[in-house]
Amino acid sequence: MARYLIKRVLYMILTLFIVATVTFFLMKLMPGSPYANEDKLTTQQIRIMNVQYGLNKPLFQQYLIYLLGVTHGDFGVSFQYSNQPVASLIGARLGASVQLGLQALIVGVILGVIVGAIAAMKQGTWADSTSTVVAIIGKSVPNFVLAVLLQYYIGLKLGWFPIAGWGTWSQTILPTIALAVGPLAETARFVRTSMVDTLSSDYIELGKAKGLSRMEVVRKHAMRNSMIPLVTLIGPYAVALMTGSMVVENIFNIPGIGEQFVKSILTNDYPTIMGVTMVYSIGLVVILLITDVVYGLLDPRIRLAGSEAA
Amino acid sequence: MVEKKSYRKWLAGSVVLLSAAILTACGGSKSSSGKQVLNWTTSTEVQTLDTSKVTDASSMDQLNNSIDGLYRLGKDAKIQPAMATSTKVSNGDKTWQFTLRKGAKWSNGDPVTAQDFVYSWRRTVNPKTASEYAYIFEGIHNATQITAGKAPVSSLGIKADGKYKLTVTLDRRIPYFKLLMGFGVFFPENQRAVEKFGSKYGTASKYMVYNGPFIPKGWNGSNLSWKLVKNPTYWDKRHVKLSQINYSVNKTPATSLNLYQAGKLDGTLLDSQAAKNYKGKTGFLIRRKSATQYLSPNLKKDPYFKNLKLRQALSLAINRKALSTTLGGANLSADTMSPEGISKVNGEDFASYVTTPATKAVNSYNPAKAEKLYKEALKELGKSKLSFSLLSYDDDLSKKAVEFVQSQLEGNLKGLTVNVQSIPKKAALAKMVSGDFDVAFTGWFADFQDPISFLDLFTTHNTYNFGHWSNATYDREIAKSKVTADPAERYRILRSAERLLLIQQGSIPLFHADEAWLVRPSVKGIQYNGAGVNYNFKTAYMAK
Repeated sequence: MARYLIKRVLYMILTLFIVATVTFFLMKLMPGSPYANEDKLTTQQIRIMNVQYGLNKPLFQQYLIYLLGVTHGDFGVSFQYSNQPVASLIGARLGASVQLGLQALIVGVILGVIVGAIAAMKQGTWADSTSTVVAIIGKSVPNFVLAVLLQYYIGLKLGWFPIAGWGTWSQTILPTIALAVGPLAETARFVRTSMVDTLSSDYIELGKAKGLSRMEVVRKHAMRNSMIPLVTLIGPYAVALMTGSMVVENIFNIPGIGEQFVKSILTNDYPTIMGVTMVYSIGLVVILLITDVVYGLLDPRIRLAGSEAA
Repeated sequence: MVEKKSYRKWLAGSVVLLSAAILTACGGSKSSSGKQVLNWTTSTEVQTLDTSKVTDASSMDQLNNSIDGLYRLGKDAKIQPAMATSTKVSNGDKTWQFTLRKGAKWSNGDPVTAQDFVYSWRRTVNPKTASEYAYIFEGIHNATQITAGKAPVSSLGIKADGKYKLTVTLDRRIPYFKLLMGFGVFFPENQRAVEKFGSKYGTASKYMVYNGPFIPKGWNGSNLSWKLVKNPTYWDKRHVKLSQINYSVNKTPATSLNLYQAGKLDGTLLDSQAAKNYKGKTGFLIRRKSATQYLSPNLKKDPYFKNLKLRQALSLAINRKALSTTLGGANLSADTMSPEGISKVNGEDFASYVTTPATKAVNSYNPAKAEKLYKEALKELGKSKLSFSLLSYDDDLSKKAVEFVQSQLEGNLKGLTVNVQSIPKKAALAKMVSGDFDVAFTGWFADFQDPISFLDLFTTHNTYNFGHWSNATYDREIAKSKVTADPAERYRILRSAERLLLIQQGSIPLFHADEAWLVRPSVKGIQYNGAGVNYNFKTAYMAK
């Protein structure tokens, strides 16, 4: 197991290095300068600014300078927010996105498992069809449409929750719901299918024959085995949710990272683009690793590659 | 049966718990009615509070309300007193001597002195600072040389004589110099604070000092809400009525409209749909922005655009009123380059001062004449049909506008094919500057309220003369306007230049992009100015 982990971590570092390199050169292919007031600067003035920021140096030299900075934990200074170090900019923004993403993930997955399990246990009844309809709606209505509807009806008309903003927990409720519905729908369908399969297995019949109650059979045997495929689903969902949704963040005035990333690309804010890309990539590779490890823990039949040799 | 019951109990229990959590979360939120508190909004983040680095309107608004320059700009760019108590102009308007107010203080207790202006201006033009607004110092002695690294920073034409006398030397007459003194980039800086905070200076409200009507609190560099609190040591605090402004960033107009309706905001920007719905209702108003959107045919790349009849045909084929209606909101159709409200000449608006039947005739809709001119142009050019691309940014407004322009041109000029190319702003701008386009749809907004901000663009060597339209008479007129002392004479020269531009169709003005707002009627005294710094809340108050 230890050797397996070390190998995986080394691969992770290699992956990140490749991501950084490819992003750096792709980003430099984008036309235009990183200056906010570019509309009004003459070519001569832009040249003077480029010297100040070292953007007149050969591309490969800029790349080496960047890599050297990163190994020292220096991601550079943002162009959009003058003088703000990228690291602190991302730090301040990531928190809101991660909190919201986690809340949406927890709510979505837990409710999704419950809805899916009920649907599977009551196969063919009204509960099953209702859950199917809910899942289809949840999957097909984009989260920003839902966000706008929630904000208008629940926030403004009913006044139950704050319309927008960030700071109190109640302000996170509407965006959490908007973001949770997608994963909820998908989890519900997934769990239902997987559980219908499990419930018809022989060992479930055996459990029933042993005299276990229906609840016990479901809790002890069916649930755990139906959850395994879900792990594959949760990993990428976690990354997608925690890296923030630009539209939902904009609608609810949440100072998150999602919009920051899009804006940094649109404004050629090179250091921020690199910083956010690296944070996203690290998040993704770490979660993929965790997913693989959890897989093994949930299902002893799944052996981690290389662990047999250990 | 037993299992079902326990399951239901579990479900009921969780519902109760959830509702309890929701209810507790609902508490709080105090009302602030009756107090002098304004809840205001902006659509983009504040990016810096450093006056040497500022570029965006949101940041500029914070600075304008927390720092006093030599002057303060009131409604429609009216000059109001600030740090300067008297001004003496000599040497053919090239030497400006300001006497500064005694007793004005920075929020760290230091007095505001002439040295603070010298320090700030030198810091901004210093190439090391890489200020994106350093170009606006052009005309102040040696500024351009210094920014290009060819002269020492200390040679800038600004000097302090003692604590309260400031002398500025210009290389040429700047007719709008007083307006510039109300623009954020020319505000003073406290050297002690800049040095103390170092690279953090201006990156959060606490890493900055202020001498203006309000003090920003709680802006941490990237958050979306903060406060402007009345400055207790402001020299003119008796005229400041608001005790606090709660500022929040609302990027989605629908959200800020919801917040307005819920009473959480006292004003909101409207998107084009909402602007249509709220037009004429209580609180509806239009903020004129001193901005013009126009078409620039590329005469250098496509020599056929040198044919005046062709350029005029393009202009006459576009129904600008219908374009404004299509775009909704508050956009005003344009038949001049200078937007309405840019300047007053003897009480008359500069835009109408420029307009003649002749300029109007070539900048309004006339499809029959357009087709006639188009046919003549094609004949002169020896072509049977024409095809060109129309380059624009890819924001909603630009996309809608160019699609409309495309349908008008193709519909009214037979045999013409227009290929729309809407790409991200940075990429489009790079193409426009390098001349890689046929016709560009672009816009300009003024940094100060003077027609020269627009007319300078179309001189032969201006970077932003994308279409490379060139006219010797025009260049001469613009140059002459810069050395003319008499304001009335200067306006006459600018008028004849703009008339030439309009009739020669050096650009094809389409519309002025303005903003539609809803502002609560109880909000009084906001001073709005369309160019440079927009909002001045110094005298704003909440009526009972």
